[in-house]
Amino acid sequence: MAATQEVIKSEPIISFGKQEKKLIKDPLHINNPITVQILGVCSALAVTTMLKPALIMGIAVTLVTGFSNLVISLIRNTIPKQIRMIVQLVVIATLVTIVELVLKAYSFDVWKQLSVFIGLIITNCIVMGRLEAFAMANKPWPSFVDGIGNGLGYAWILIAIAGIRELFGRGALLGYKIIGPSEEFLINTSSTPLLSWYQPNGLMVLPASAMVIIAVIIWIQRSKEKSLVDIS
Amino acid sequence: MFSTRYVYVYTLILSAFAAISLAFFITIFKPLHDSNEAASKKKDILSSIAGELGQDPQLMSNEDVIKLFDEKVEQLVIDAKGNIIKDVSAEDISLATEEKKPLEERRYPLYIFKSKGSSIYLTAVRGNGLWDKIWGTIAIKDDMNTIVGASFGHQAETPGLGAEIKDNANFPKSFIGKEIFKDGEYVSVKVMKGASDPKHQVDAISGATITSVGVSEMMYKGLNSYVAYFNSIKNKG
Amino acid sequence: MELLNVFIKSAFIENMILAYFIGMCSFLAVSKSVKTAIGLGVAVIFVLAITVPINWMISELVLGPNGIFKTDLTFLRFILFISSIAATVQLVEMAVEKYSPSLYNALGIFLPLITVNCAILGAALFMVAREYSFSESVVYGIGSGFGWLLAIVLLAAIREKMSYSNVPEGLRGLGMAFLLTAFLGISFMSLMGINPSVYFVK
Repeated sequence: MAATQEVIKSEPIISFGKQEKKLIKDPLHINNPITVQILGVCSALAVTTMLKPALIMGIAVTLVTGFSNLVISLIRNTIPKQIRMIVQLVVIATLVTIVELVLKAYSFDVWKQLSVFIGLIITNCIVMGRLEAFAMANKPWPSFVDGIGNGLGYAWILIAIAGIRELFGRGALLGYKIIGPSEEFLINTSSTPLLSWYQPNGLMVLPASAMVIIAVIIWIQRSKEKSLVDIS
Repeated sequence: MFSTRYVYVYTLILSAFAAISLAFFITIFKPLHDSNEAASKKKDILSSIAGELGQDPQLMSNEDVIKLFDEKVEQLVIDAKGNIIKDVSAEDISLATEEKKPLEERRYPLYIFKSKGSSIYLTAVRGNGLWDKIWGTIAIKDDMNTIVGASFGHQAETPGLGAEIKDNANFPKSFIGKEIFKDGEYVSVKVMKGASDPKHQVDAISGATITSVGVSEMMYKGLNSYVAYFNSIKNKG
Repeated sequence: MELLNVFIKSAFIENMILAYFIGMCSFLAVSKSVKTAIGLGVAVIFVLAITVPINWMISELVLGPNGIFKTDLTFLRFILFISSIAATVQLVEMAVEKYSPSLYNALGIFLPLITVNCAILGAALFMVAREYSFSESVVYGIGSGFGWLLAIVLLAAIREKMSYSNVPEGLRGLGMAFLLTAFLGISFMSLMGINPSVYFVK
């Protein structure tokens, strides 16, 4: 959480130049919130057993980081230092509640599935972390771009993990059967001809597999990018 | 630095702003939430007779489900002795609250689906899975014996294993045609590996032993509460 | 017996970190030495034991349809929960500083960290989702805090030992912490066959 504040000087109010590209691109790889900044590993990993809730969660987190960065950046000069944290939390909580209300209205099944994990976006450290490290010191537009960038960096890891877990754990993607025996197989013993030799890996549906997959992503990333290696 | 007064005023304005904007959104979405919630429970109940309906209620629109339910479904509330309790609608009964009461005070919802002169009795059951609660709706033909459909739900069973009771359409289907009475005696339907009795056993989900045992237990205890009522109907007719 | 059931379930079987990944940020950041891990863990138990019952009261007496406003205000739940947590943590910090300097020295630096620890809000939201009664919510707060302490101390102990091992370059530090958490999670999985409700609830 104690990241130093990064200040970006950009003249026009809304532009999409080199700096903004960097703000989007960096969090996807070199400064990824999960694998490098270790922010926000908490809440959303529990929804990565299947692709669909992970996709929705990714979109929700991206919107919340983007808009909370925007709002805080707009009011950054009026916020009294003493109650900084609580102001940030109230803004985030309001946005998350709006996301929840929209989800409950238009995608009731996913809302039921995500249950408490939507609320946990509030304490997802990545939202708070970007407010502290970026939005408190920058103009609204770059803050918004930074929020969206970090949200996306978070979302792609989430989606990658969910994709791997659903494919190997259930032999399906977004609910469509891809590999492995058909549904009937679990009950009696007929099977589909296509790739029916594959036995779904029960380990993949356990929470622990998400951690292993992150560890492997970190391993690959750091082997390629030596500057990220932990010296301690 | 800001003065203390500024901080107070700031806090007030911020909370007022947050509350008002949320109140605005809730008034917009409230009708949608209500219709989703109302339809969701009805969908779950009607799912048990998807075969009889010829379509999957989960895919129907909220309005259609509510209309179908209001037209064709009669609601009853009974107690474990089979007496009908008046002045309360089945939809207001939550098994989660009932199961905290002592056995003799519990009330059970019963939905009767009427079509083409015959009735199907939809019973609600609830029990323990591996992680948390599991529940289901069991549809029974008007011979008060043959199961014509079932649907299950769960709080937190393992995806791919226990959660298959809901996700795998073939599991509830395997209950169709089973009978809950054997020579007039209540035996329920058992979920087990290598089921051999074509009338009273169904195959378990591989790898989900505890959930399967939980379903057996839930069926036995849950349907048992309706047996007194079923017998009273049988004796009458 | 119901309460014991809730405790065992929240501490071991549905462990906040190992089963739901809740509270991972501080879990990974503060698990480098056993001593600080214990400090943070105790602070988490302390805060959970206070905030979960407080949030129970908020959701029953203020937000619920039977509360003081007689209307369903659940859409304000997130805001009120997080504000009450932040306020409680602040108050606890001030009280501890005033009345027990030694406790403050031990827990003080961890308390501000805890406001944004997902475990605190997570416990409050789970408490609502599972419809616990007041006494259950107290036990649930303590139980899940204890589970959290257990997990962080275990990880910290293993990480201390790991500093003598030759870990592949890319996995050093964070990567290894994730792997270790995974293995801890798998070993805790063996507890899931225990279904306390079968033994304790008649």
